[in-house]
Parts: sequence; structure tokens; C-alpha cells
Amino acid sequence: MDVLSNTKVISLIAPLFLIQLLLIVIALIVLFKAERTRGPKWLWVIIILFGNLLGSIAFFLFGRRSV
Amino acid sequence: MTKWLILFRKEWLEMIRSYKIVWLPISFIVLGASQPIATYFMPDILSSAGNMPEGAIISLPTPKPFEVLASSLQQFGVIGLLLIALSNMSALSLERSSGTAAMILVKPVSFVSFVTAKWAAILSLSMVSFLFGYSAAWYYTIALFDSVRWLEVLLSAMLFALWLGFVGTLALMFSSLIRSAAAAAFSALATAALLSIVSSTLPFKQVWNPGRLPTLAAGSLDTAQHINNSSLSVWLTAIVTAVAIAIALVIATGSMRSRPSDV
Amino acid sequence: MSVLLSVEQLTKRFDEELAVDNIGFEIGEGRCVALLGPNGAGKTTTIRMLTGLLQPTSGTIQFSGMKQGQDRREWIGYLPQTPAFYGWMTGREFLVYAGRLCGLSAKEAASRSNELLERVGIASAGKRKIGGYSGGMKQRLGLAQALIHRPRLLVLDEPVSALDPIGRREVMAMIGELKNETTVLFSTHVLHDAEELCDDILIMRRGQLSLAGSLATLREENREPVLSLEIEEDDHSRQWLAGWINKLPNGILATSETRGSVRLIAQDLETARRAVLKELTKSEVSLSKLEIGHSTLEDLFLKVVTAP
Repeated sequence: MDVLSNTKVISLIAPLFLIQLLLIVIALIVLFKAERTRGPKWLWVIIILFGNLLGSIAFFLFGRRSV
Repeated sequence: MTKWLILFRKEWLEMIRSYKIVWLPISFIVLGASQPIATYFMPDILSSAGNMPEGAIISLPTPKPFEVLASSLQQFGVIGLLLIALSNMSALSLERSSGTAAMILVKPVSFVSFVTAKWAAILSLSMVSFLFGYSAAWYYTIALFDSVRWLEVLLSAMLFALWLGFVGTLALMFSSLIRSAAAAAFSALATAALLSIVSSTLPFKQVWNPGRLPTLAAGSLDTAQHINNSSLSVWLTAIVTAVAIAIALVIATGSMRSRPSDV
Repeated sequence: MSVLLSVEQLTKRFDEELAVDNIGFEIGEGRCVALLGPNGAGKTTTIRMLTGLLQPTSGTIQFSGMKQGQDRREWIGYLPQTPAFYGWMTGREFLVYAGRLCGLSAKEAASRSNELLERVGIASAGKRKIGGYSGGMKQRLGLAQALIHRPRLLVLDEPVSALDPIGRREVMAMIGELKNETTVLFSTHVLHDAEELCDDILIMRRGQLSLAGSLATLREENREPVLSLEIEEDDHSRQWLAGWINKLPNGILATSETRGSVRLIAQDLETARRAVLKELTKSEVSLSKLEIGHSTLEDLFLKVVTAP
């Protein structure tokens, strides 16, 4: 295996972080726009921000209540 | 056929408006990419975790590229499967309990179209998400480790996609049979787990068992293993799975036909 | 009058319970028919079998003039008791979707949707998500989607029972207009609604069809003498009334009673009048009003649904 330089590694991993960030941002936008959620909104903010990928997924799966 | 397309388009519109079209592919991409990255940094992670005597040298064998890809498939086989089962657990039961199925099924629409349009929409998004995720895994494996031949990747992707499609169809079927969404998801996952455990624990070869697919998919990445799996038995398993999917759709259609609404 | 729909020996059994018991009726082309009966009489079950939402245990449902193998649902427009929609769609999107599923072309569905949104009075809300609609707006949208393919038979299940008095008025007026354009079958437990709109009524009770016919004929055929009796509100008179209606002489039947008044249907007016007057004097009841008249549909309805 070639040893990769640090900058190369960072440039490889950066897109992954960006896409995760994108998911979190979308989840937060949907959360603030939603009229009804299961459970309080502030709790979902914490779950989305600190729950990482699983937090956002949990919100999309269970957080919204259909009207 | 026009009506089928109209139903199919409605399902896609719903997936767009509920953002499923965004979060499911992203989840799969993150899932697929994180496995090669975590493997690459494993020595660093271990050494920074402390608890190591001063001067200890950690030497982990560098995994072969196909092993990294196979471990991504394992991730998809657990969390990916969970996502697919959970996101479809109320696909039909919600239409029934909310009364929308009754609104649509009093129109001259065939029950088969109603169920299969939903099924096709669910599966197409699941497949696309998995392909994105697996491509990400492949890309990072090449970038951080070494290349894997595309033909082997393609074969394993097709086998694994069939397995995901099978579990997605199970979730859809159980959502037509069971009112509780959680119970439907559990039933689909339990069936999948059971089949896959049976396929690996029982001492005889089970060509008829779709639960063999994840193992076949991982195995097809390893050139050394190719000899063990005759392509005929792989084809047979694929055909059995396709038939099982068709049967599940027939059951789901029958269930909707006999009881289009709860009220 | 040509027959549009004929129903024969229709039966639905749920496990032990016989929800609809061998009913048969015909609906004439262009008529407005009310399916009347108390809650739990089997009205909704009957309607759900007509629309194909429920498989009958036995019996036939046949549209006249429908080709062999043609889908009955093509001719039916249906508004359920509580219409349900996809909250993420706009009202207009749902109408177009419904229209296309009924076989309209994209262009036709679009123009028909605009027309109907206008007609049911929610044109301004057409571009809003249904999730934000009120109950009355959903009822109107429900009516619009039932009409989208110009059905031969419009089936409405308790169309006004969930609405407030104003919404009720408006929807009744809409149905009144629609009955000039198509055949209408609607269920209700309120006789007054049926009387206001309908040509024919079908009265159901405990899964059976108790009475069927045109409103005019039923009124005529079932005209019976009625004695309407009111008494003062003193204790003695009230006690007498409460006791007396439980042991009415033969040929007299109480249809409705409230505190201090009762309506009595008599087989023979003279005998009944004599019997009542005799009883009144004997018991020294303070009478406030005794009126002799003829039975209304309400008396008939009450008699049919309360008969043992």
C-alpha cells in the first residue's frame, strides 16, 4: 500500500464530510418547516446535530407526523 | 399501462416531497464510504486510543481490497437492510388505515397496478441508493487501498441488490398483512435474518435459499472463491429469489383486494 | 323510468354478524335515492359493496347497459363518509390524479379539475396542500373527485353528517344541483335530509330493507290517522301518560313521545278517538291539546325503525 500524504487523505475524505453535513442541514430545514413532529422540536435538533448520520435518519424515518 | 405510470409517478412525487429521495441515497453513500475509511485509519485509531504500553508496535495485516469491499457489503447487510425495512414498513398499511387506499381503489384501477407501482418505486429508489453507496465504497477502496476488478464488483452488486430487493418486497408484503408498522418491519427483518442464518449454519448446500445471496455477493469479489460457486447454482438462487418476490407481490395484492380499507 | 342499477339478494356476513341480510332494490336512471336508517343499520356496508370496496358474501349488483366484463367502478363516483387524501398533494393535484386514474387524458383531467374546483367553491385553495384543509374543504374536494369522470351513479356516504350547519346547507344545495345531472344515491340517518332532496327512499334496519319506494307513493300509501296529544305538566298527568303509553289499547301505536306529549297512530280513527277521550275523562288528566291529523314521513320512519 502506498502511504498517502495528509493533504491527499483530507481531500479524499472531505466530500464524505460535506455530504453528511448536507444531510444534517436538510434534516434541520425539514424539521423547522414541519408543522407537526413526534416529540418536541428542540429534542430533534439535538438528535440531528449530535446523532450524526443515524440522528438525521431517525428524524426522517420517525420524526415527522403526516397531516 | 398509462394508469400504472400515473400511480408510479405519484409514488416518486411522494418520495421527492418527503425527502426520501435525498436521505436514503446519502445514507447509503455515507455507509458505503465509511467502511474503507475506517479500515484505513484503524491502526491510527487503535494507537491513539491509549492503553498501549510505551513503544508497542501495532501491526495489523493490511486487508486485501476485496475484503474491504466485502466488509462494506456487511454494513449494507445490516444497516442498509434496516433502512429499507424501516422506510417501507407502512407502505401499504398506511394507505389502508388513512383511507387513501379506499379513495383510489374505488376508481377503475387494478389492484395489481396499485401494489406493483408502489413496489417498483420503492425498489428503484432502494437500488439507486445501494448502487451509489456501493460505488462510494468501491471508489474509496481504490483510492485508499488498491483496485478491484469492475466485473467482480458488478457481479457482487447485482447479487446483493437482489437480496435488498427481496427484503424490500418482504417489507411491502408484511405492510399489507400487518397493521402495525413496527411488527411489519420486524417480520421482514426476522425473515431475512432467519434465511441468512439458515444458509450459513446448516451443513448442506441450499440453492433454494435467498439468504445465501449476501454470502454469494461477498464471495464473488474473491477471485479465489469463484471455483466454489458454480454459476449454475448462483443462477438458481437468483431465480428462486425472483419467484419469491413475485409470490410476495401476489400475496400483497390479494390482501389489498380482500381488504382495501380498515374502516 | 329505466333502471340503472339493480341489486339482488345482496348479503354480507362478518364472522357471526349478518351486516346486510338479503336485500334487493333498483335505482332508476336520473333518480335521487336516499338510503335511510339508524346508525348501524348496514347502510355503509351496502354502499361499500356497491363501490367494490367490500366483496359481498352473496348476491348480485348489476348496472343495466354495462358490457360484459366491464369494470363497475367506471360508472361510479364515490364520496366516503370521511374522505381521505394525501396531505402532501395540492387539491388540484389530487383531482388531476383522480381524473387520470379514471382514464381521462392529461388535458381533460386538468380542465375538469379547474372546473370542479370552481364549482365546489375551493378554487382559491386549489394550489394549497390538502394537509392544511379544513373538514368542510375536504368534503368539497371529496365531492369534486367523485365527479371528476362524470359518473353515471354518484354515491355519497353520509355527505353532510360531519359538517356544521352552514357547511351542511351548502353541500345539500350542491347535491340538489347535481341530482339534475346524474343519478344520486346517498345515505343518511336524518329523514329531513332525505325528504328535502330525494325522489326515492330505501329504509334499512338491522341489515334488512324495511321499506322502499318513491317518496310520493310512500306518503300516499302510508297516510294513517294520527292523534297528537299534549297534557299539562302536573305530576298526576305526567304519571298517567307514562303509564298509559305502555298499555295502549289495540290499534293504537305511539310513534314519538316527549315530556308531556305523544303522537299516536291509529288503525281506525273513530275507535281510537273514542278510546282516548274515554281514558282522558276517566283518569281526570288535564289535557292541553288534542289534534287529529295524518301521519308524516317521520311517523312512518319512526314506526319502521322502532318496530319490534
